[in-house]
Amino acid sequence: MSPMSSPKRILIVDDESGFTRLLKLTLEKTGRYIVREENDGTRAWSTASEFRPEIIFLDIVMPEIDGGDVAQQIRADSALRHIPIVFLTAIVAEQETRSTIGGFPFLAKPVGLAALMECIEQHTAPGSVE
Amino acid sequence: MLTSSPDSARILLIESDPQESVRLRHFLEHQSRLEIQWVADAQSLEEGAQFLNQLEVDAVLLDANSLSEPNAETLIAVHRLSNEVPVIVLASPRTEEFARQLVQMGAEASILKRIEDGDELSCALRAALDRARHQAEFESERAFLGTLLENIPDRIYFKDEQSRFIRINRALMERFGLSRPEDAYGKTDADFFTPERARETLLDEQMVMITGQPILNKVESENLQDGSFGWCLTTKLPLRNRRGRIIGTCGISREITSLKQMEAALETERNLLRAVIDHLPDHIFLKDFEGRYVLDNVAHQRWLGARAQADVAGRTAFDFFPEETAMRFREADEPVLRTGEPLLNFEERSVDAAGQSRWALVTKVPWRADDGRILGLVCMKRNITEQKLAEAKLKQANLELAASREEVLSAMAELQAAHTQLREMQQQLIEAEKMKLIGRVTAGIAHEVKNPLAIVKMGLEFWRQQPAPDESCQLVLREMQDAVNRADNVILGLLDFSKPSRLETRRENLNAMIHRALGSVRVEMRAPVEIVPQLDPHLPLLALDAEKMNQVLVNLFTNSIHAMSEGGTLGIRTYTEQLTGVGQNIAGQKSESFRIGQSIAVLEIEDTGHGIPEDKLSKIFEPFFTTKPTGKGTGLGLSVVKTIVDLHGATISIRNRIGGGAIATLMFPL
Repeated sequence: MSPMSSPKRILIVDDESGFTRLLKLTLEKTGRYIVREENDGTRAWSTASEFRPEIIFLDIVMPEIDGGDVAQQIRADSALRHIPIVFLTAIVAEQETRSTIGGFPFLAKPVGLAALMECIEQHTAPGSVE
Repeated sequence: MLTSSPDSARILLIESDPQESVRLRHFLEHQSRLEIQWVADAQSLEEGAQFLNQLEVDAVLLDANSLSEPNAETLIAVHRLSNEVPVIVLASPRTEEFARQLVQMGAEASILKRIEDGDELSCALRAALDRARHQAEFESERAFLGTLLENIPDRIYFKDEQSRFIRINRALMERFGLSRPEDAYGKTDADFFTPERARETLLDEQMVMITGQPILNKVESENLQDGSFGWCLTTKLPLRNRRGRIIGTCGISREITSLKQMEAALETERNLLRAVIDHLPDHIFLKDFEGRYVLDNVAHQRWLGARAQADVAGRTAFDFFPEETAMRFREADEPVLRTGEPLLNFEERSVDAAGQSRWALVTKVPWRADDGRILGLVCMKRNITEQKLAEAKLKQANLELAASREEVLSAMAELQAAHTQLREMQQQLIEAEKMKLIGRVTAGIAHEVKNPLAIVKMGLEFWRQQPAPDESCQLVLREMQDAVNRADNVILGLLDFSKPSRLETRRENLNAMIHRALGSVRVEMRAPVEIVPQLDPHLPLLALDAEKMNQVLVNLFTNSIHAMSEGGTLGIRTYTEQLTGVGQNIAGQKSESFRIGQSIAVLEIEDTGHGIPEDKLSKIFEPFFTTKPTGKGTGLGLSVVKTIVDLHGATISIRNRIGGGAIATLMFPL
C-alpha cells in the first residue's frame, strides 16, 4: 500500500448525515481515499453513476428506499455492476459479519477505522489507477 | 361228685372173709338188677377208707363182721365214711346191735346177712344210691344258687307276703350298706328307701301277688334314704310254695344308672344335633343307596313341602320332583355312591315344589357303615340363589363400569392430550409473540442506538488521527472508545437475546462439543485452571443445535473461568441416569419437563471459584443481571443460555458447591 498510489474513490450511502460526514473526514484524513456522501437512498444510483466509486458502503435501513433495493439497482446497471458493495448497518451484530446479507458482505455499526480500511483493501484492487 | 347211671353202681366191698366176699359178689351180680362194678375189696375199715380217698365209689358194702372192735373209734370212722358215700352195713345176728348203732351214726341201712335175699339188698342199695344222687343234686343246686346269689352283680331278694325281706344277695346287701344279709331280714323297703319309692314297690309287689303276673324289666328310679340315687331295671316275680300258693315275691334288679346317664347324654346330644341341623337354613339330608330319604332337617322338609320327617322318610326324590329333576339328582348322586369320592361345593340348579328356580351349592359325601361299605349319601345344600343373582348383577355392573371407565379414561386421555397440545401451542404462541415483540423492539433500539454510536466512534477515529494530541487528550479518547464499546456490547447482547429462536437440531455428540468449546475458552484463562473432564463415553447422541449449544457451553465455561481468577479446578461430567424422584435433582426445576422414570443425560460443570452470593441465586437468569464488575459483563449471558437450554427442552440449574464454587447442572431428555 504505497502512499504514492492515487486515492480510492468511496461512496457512502446512509441517511445519517452525521455519520457520513465523520466517515468522510476520517477516511480522507488518511489521505488514501476520496469519499462521496449520499444521504438520500433514492439518489444513490445516479450519484454512483456520476461519481464512479471503487467501492460502495450501503446502509440498509433508510427512509424511502431500502439498502437492498439500492444494491439491486446498482447491480442491474451494467456500468456499475462490477463495483463491490458492502452493507454498513446497525441492525446486525459484529459476530455475524463473517456471513453475508443477500450475497453482499457487510460491516456492523459502530465500526472502527481499522475495520473499514481492511474491508476496503479486501474488496478493491490494490493501488488501482483510475 | 359221684355220678353214675341209676342202673349202675360202683361198689367198694369191705369184707374180711374171702368166702363171704365171693358169695356177696356172685349174689349181687346175678340177683340185683343193677350193673355192678366192683371197684375194690378191702379187708378192713382202714383199708376201705384208703381206697375211698383214691377211687370213685357210689356205695360201700360193709360187713359188720369185718370190723375188729365195735368201739367208739370204729363208730366215728364209719360216720366219717358215710358222710362221703352211702354205707350199707351187712350184719349177722351177732353184730346186729352194732350195725344198728352204725346206722345211727350215718350208715344207710343194715341188712341181716342171714335173711338176706336179692330184693332186700338190691332195694337197699338202690335206695341208697338214689338218695345219694338226690343229695348230690340238691347240694349242687344249693351251690349253684349260692354262687349265683353271692357273685351276681344284680340285686336279688326274696320277700314274704308282707313284703319283708327273707333273703337278699350280697349285691343288695352292699347296696343297703349292710355287713350281713341277715340284717335285712324282717325289714321292708321302707327301712331303706324313701317313703315314695317304698310305697311304689309295695304296690307293685301286692299287684304281683294278687295277679300272679310278673312285672318284667321295669325301669325304676332308686332313691335311698342315704340320699344316693340310681336307676334300676327290675323284674318282680310271685314266690310260690310247693303247692303253688303265692307266699311272697322275689325280684332281681340291675343297676343301669350309667346306662341311663349314657342314654340321657345320647338323648341330649341327639336333641342338640337335631336342633342344630333343624336350625340351619341349609338343607341336610341322608339318602340310602336306593335314594330313599333316611333323615333330613326342617329346612329340607319345608323345601319338599313336607310337614315332618315321617312325610319324607322312605320316599325318594321321584315322589317330590318332576321325573326330569329327580333323574338329575340321581345322576349327581351316582358317582359318589359308586366311587366314594365326595362331591364338594357343586353348583346345582333346581326347581322347588312351588316351581321356583333356584341355585344351590351342593356337597355330597358318602355315608359309610363301620366296615366302610357305602350305605348312601349325606347331602348338604345351601341356597345361593340370591348370591347368584347378585353375582350376575355385579358382573353386569362391572362390565358396564369397566366400559364406562374405559370411555372416561379415553375421553380423559384425549382431553389431556388436547389440553397439553393447547397449552404447548399457547406457550409457543406466547413465546413467539413475546420474542417477536422483543425482537422488534430490540432491533429498533439497536438501530437507533447504534447509529449515534457509529457517529461517536467515527468521531473518535477522526480525533485519533489528529497529529500529536497530548497525553490527556489520548486518555479521554481511550475512555470514550471503551464507553462506546461497552454500549455496543450491550446492544449486541440484546440482539442475541432477542434473536428469533428457532433451533436447527441434529444428533450431536455432546462430549465432542464440550471439547470444542473448551478449546475456544482456553484463551480466556489468565490463571492456571485444571480441567478435569469425566465424560461418559457411552453417552447417546442428543438432539442439539450445535451453534447455540456451543454458545451455551462457551458461556458457562467462561463464567467458571472468570470466577476462578486465582486459578482452580473446572470439573466437567456427563452421564445418563433414570429419574427416581427420590431426594432429587429435579427439584426446583421445570419439573413438568421430566417424568419419574424417564432417562436423561446430565451435564455438570463445576468450578472452585467464588460462587454466587446466595441472595443473587434466584436472579441469575434474569436479563441484565450480573455479578461481574461494571463493564465486565453485559448481564445477558445466562439469560441467553437459559433461553437456548429451554428451547432444547432441557433444564439448567446453578447452585453453590458446599466446598466453595458453583455447579451448573443441565439435564437433557433422551
